[in-house]
Amino acid sequence: MKTLSLVGILLTACLHAGGLEFAQTLREIHAPADVDKVAAEFEFTNRGDKPVRVVKYDAACSCMSVTIKDAKLKYAPGESGVIRAVFEMGNFSGTVDKVVALWLDEDPADKPSLTLTVRVHIPVLVSLEPKTLKWDLDGDASPQTIRITMNDAKPIRVTGVNSSSPAFKPELKTIEEGKIYELSVTPASIRTPGLGILRIETDSANAKHRLHQAFAVVRKPTPAEAAALKP
Amino acid sequence: MNALAQLVTIAAVSLAAAGGTFLIKGPPQRALRCDPAAIQPDEVCLEQIPADAPVVWVDARPRADWEKNGLPGSVLWNLDPAEDAAAFEAAVAMKIAETPRAIVYCGDENCGVSRQVAARIRDIGMEADVSVLHGGWRALNEAGRIRNPSRNP
Repeated sequence: MKTLSLVGILLTACLHAGGLEFAQTLREIHAPADVDKVAAEFEFTNRGDKPVRVVKYDAACSCMSVTIKDAKLKYAPGESGVIRAVFEMGNFSGTVDKVVALWLDEDPADKPSLTLTVRVHIPVLVSLEPKTLKWDLDGDASPQTIRITMNDAKPIRVTGVNSSSPAFKPELKTIEEGKIYELSVTPASIRTPGLGILRIETDSANAKHRLHQAFAVVRKPTPAEAAALKP
Repeated sequence: MNALAQLVTIAAVSLAAAGGTFLIKGPPQRALRCDPAAIQPDEVCLEQIPADAPVVWVDARPRADWEKNGLPGSVLWNLDPAEDAAAFEAAVAMKIAETPRAIVYCGDENCGVSRQVAARIRDIGMEADVSVLHGGWRALNEAGRIRNPSRNP
């Protein structure tokens, strides 16, 4: 019986052997606002007793490229390697998780063995609160306000605001030059549904922070909102 | 019986059981399955969405894939840095202002882009009901909802 148990344990061990062990499967990066790319490296070692082959790796996003050091795909027991992921910041902001999937020997096409996560924290230099102003159809037509806050050490000024629709009239007010603005929007009519796109231009040195957009919409209240309005 | 004989016996019994299962039940089921009780809270099974339901379908795959075989009537919103994210946002905002129900799909169940695009749609703040399609484009294709699955752009 002892022998049989030992055989079972060894068989189980063999099924799980050959796996790659990663020091970390999550890398967090606090990126400066002015960089275009950030890189994260994942070090691993084959702790198993047989070679492991990386069959495929995929970031599932054109914003991230993945390479394996020296393009080495097969790792003997005890051998180590590094997977490098380079994330293009593009127009991302806030906290962004990007995942790298790794397929090893005999993994089914729809089930990678491993996933690695690159978590990038990107400063939000220009924040709009709220992003969308909403008026209920045939409701109160009072002006509403978007607060624009600059979260940079250097001042960022709003240089222009325009509305895609004459149905929404924007008016900019400076609260603190280069730091805080208020954008007041008045709907021309709330008797018909409509959407306006408000484009806000800034003088940010960083090109990707020069244009922001917010929305103004006149629409039927959602069922939940309508229920909340009932006395 | 020594250990080697036991191992051979176990392997033979396992093989016989697997062979019997194959003969009785057929080959493994590789078609995508979606159990509404087992999916993530922000996901939806295609079977839960009637074909004529008012939905804004958002394709989160690369532009070339969307142009090649996107769901008819869908709009594109991917995370390609070369694309105009503000234009995507504006296009989807206009759609969900009229139809406040959006479902995002990407390639298959391993693709995480659709979840990030769904988050961006929610961030617009129009209180639309936004979900991620479990199984993505693969689910749509298997259900016959893709008109030209192999057409070239």
